[in-house]
This record gives sequence, C-alpha cells and structure tokens, in this order.
Amino acid sequence: MNLVFDNFNTILGFLLLALALGLTIFFIIRDRSRNLAGPNPLRLLRDISAFTRFRRAVGISVEAGQRLHISLGRGGINGLPGGATFIGLTMLNRCARAASISDCPPVATSGESLTAVLSQDTLRSVYADLGAERRYDPASGRLSGLTPLSYAAGVMPDIHDEHVTASILAGHFGSEVGLLVEAGERIHSLSVAGSDSLSAQAVLYAAAEEPLIGEELFAGGAYLGAGPAHIASLFMQDILRWIVVGVIALGAILKLVGVWP
Amino acid sequence: MKKALSIGNALIAIAAGVLVLLGYLLPELLGTLRTLLVQWAVILAAFALLLGIINLVMVHGKRLTTPKASLNKLYSAVLLLSLILTILLVGIATPTSFWSVWLVSTFQVPVEASLLAVLAVVLVYSASRLLSRRLHWTSLLFLGTVVLVLLGMAPLLFIGEVPILSSLRQWLASVPALAGARGLLLGVALGAIATGLRILMGVDRPYGD
Repeated sequence: MNLVFDNFNTILGFLLLALALGLTIFFIIRDRSRNLAGPNPLRLLRDISAFTRFRRAVGISVEAGQRLHISLGRGGINGLPGGATFIGLTMLNRCARAASISDCPPVATSGESLTAVLSQDTLRSVYADLGAERRYDPASGRLSGLTPLSYAAGVMPDIHDEHVTASILAGHFGSEVGLLVEAGERIHSLSVAGSDSLSAQAVLYAAAEEPLIGEELFAGGAYLGAGPAHIASLFMQDILRWIVVGVIALGAILKLVGVWP
Repeated sequence: MKKALSIGNALIAIAAGVLVLLGYLLPELLGTLRTLLVQWAVILAAFALLLGIINLVMVHGKRLTTPKASLNKLYSAVLLLSLILTILLVGIATPTSFWSVWLVSTFQVPVEASLLAVLAVVLVYSASRLLSRRLHWTSLLFLGTVVLVLLGMAPLLFIGEVPILSSLRQWLASVPALAGARGLLLGVALGAIATGLRILMGVDRPYGD
C-alpha cells in the first residue's frame, strides 16, 4: 500500500475526493428520503440576487420573444478551466429548456472548439428531449474566436445584433470579459457573469451588473433548477469549506505557538 | 436503441473519467492508461477544431445569405475571405514561414492591441460607474484599493516615488489581496470538485443524452 500511495499529498487528495463523493451521495439520499427538495428546492438556499434576476429575465425574454445569450468562455474541458466550462454547459441546458417555447431560441458562444461542439450537443439534446428536434439550429452554438480578444470581438456583435434580453457568462474568461459585459450594458440587457479566473472576477466585480464571485458560479446549476444533485453538491461544498477553514486556522495556531515548523 | 446509446455514452464517459482520475492518484498503477486516454482526448480536440471552423463558416455564411441588408454582412464577408486567404497562405507557405508570421504580426496583433486599449478605457469607465450601480462599503473598498495600488505602482508626476504608497501597495498585494485570492481559489476548487464528481456520477452529462 505504501508503495502505491507514495506521498502524503496523494493520500490527502484521495481522502478529499472520497469525502466529497460520500457527502454528495449522502445529501442526495437524505433529500430524496425526506423529500427536502420538494416543490420549491430554492428555499433551502441563500438568496443570490444574480440568479433571482436572471430567472426573471428568462421569463421576460420568453414572453417578449427575445433572445438569451450564454457565453461559455474560452476554456476547454482539459485542465483547470474545465470545471467552469462544465457548469456553463449545465446553465446552457437549463436556459435552453426554459426558453424552448420562445420564438428566439438561446444562442451559446464559446472561444474553444471543443466547448462549441459540446454547446451544440447540449442544445441538440435539450430539443430532442423536449421532442422539438426541428427547432434545433446548429448555428445557435457558435465558435466566436480562438484567442481571448478575437473571442470578445466575435461575441460583441452577437450580443448587440441578436437583441439579447439577458446574458449569462459562465466559464473561463480573462480580463476581456469586460468588453462582453460592456456590450450588454450598451443595449441595457442584464449580464450575470462569473469565472474561475481571478483577473476576470476583479473585472466583473467592477463591470458586471450581477457578478458571480468565487464559488457562486458553481452554484448556478442548483439555482437554475438542475436537480437535487446540484443542491447536494452545495451542501457538500459548505462542509468541505468549513473543514478547510478549520485546517487553515489550526495550522495558523500551530505555527503561532511554534509547534509547526 | 436511443436509450441504450445514451447509457453507453454515459458509461464510456464515466469509465474514462474515473480511470484518468485514478491515474493521477495511483500513477504507478494507472499512469500509462491515463496518459493514453489524455492523448486520445487531445486528438479528438484537434478534430473539434475542424468542426469549430466549419461552424464558423456556417454561421457567417448564413449571415451573408440573409435578405436583410446590414453592415454585419460586410464583416462576415471579410471574415470568410480572411479565413480562406489565411488557410491558403499558411497551407502553401507552412505555419512558421515568413509570410505566416507576417500575416499574424501585421493583422492579428495590431487589431488585438487596439482592442486591449479599448478594454483599458472600458475598465476605467466601469470602475467609475461602480458606485452609481452598487453603493456599498465593499464598492468603496474596491475603488479605494484600486486607487492606492495605482498610486503605489509608479512614480508620481512632480513628486516622484512616495515610499509609504509603495510599501502600502506591497502590503496590500502580499497580505489582504493574497489572502482573498487564496480564499476565492479555494472556493473555485471546491466548486470544480463538485462539478467533476457530478459528471463522474453521471448526473451531469455535458456530452448529450
């Protein structure tokens, strides 16, 4: 066993994943057995005004026959930005379902080819699931540019010309996200935006009408009604966060008293 | 049949994900398999690039054929023409040739640099609008920190470098900003773990049903 787990970090990583998996499964089972999710699972969660406003904007866009825009950023699924890209795809799925009866189906833009293919696949599977395959348009999942600024340059006209009511920017961005938010601002559309990158979060805090800071981005699925597993994930994250806080505080105290080297 | 295909897709994705994850944790046992699977993913991603280019041509081709006259048609025409010319030039002259490098440094770099300049203006404008949008103590703290860091970054006109501002900037960057950044990154990491686990459990299926 020692041969396989050759260092402390590996064991720690393994334990963390096992704990995260165990907690997620526990909360899914608990919520199902107690029917905690019930008809309105959002009552279990704290209010995040960005999602409240976005859900309202989705309703308005459907009624007014206007378009929603979902920007998935320029991160692929390989490597660190993958988490943000996947949560963006979940949000795309929810938005496409909510706006499926609208005259203008949502449009998804991305700055990475694999993400663009996945966005098309997500839209296609939503329409197939709803029995409306004919409404699917491959051009609604777009590759807008492959470098940060060409991506921004490609998305800006889409926001402006497609008469977008609300944009959700969820994925990996850099500081170029400021240009996308500004494009939305110019046509008075709501921009809900979050990223896994720190520089983008700083820009969004200043520029976006409704920024999603830190892990708020990853709560998007739960707040847009993606299912009990997303809510269970939030409970799991809360517990892990407290464990991390405890470990950091303990480490600081041990260092302060000179026990930790 | 469709259901079976959907379950098959999910099983393949979950198995590949679990094997790659275990390959990181048990490198001696599954490291080779992990490398192989990641290499396959890289090859697939290269094909996705071709699909992405086809998508780009399709979107802009469709825009060109719409009856409505707009300036966007011209932009789309320029984009498609540039795409064809670039593919031809780079294809004939090889990607590292003088003409390929010239193409990037003459067109791509200046256009992106000008967008970067626009971005700087947009950010200043956004920061100035922050207080009117969200009048809150956190907004004041944000703007105050931005001003302090900017003042501490470079020598001031007629005054030169102000040591207290430079030290304050250094302290801001190395203590509160670093602590905040680590806190945010921990939150992002936990979120990414949760997202990854949902995919491994087959709850989220971004590869379609």
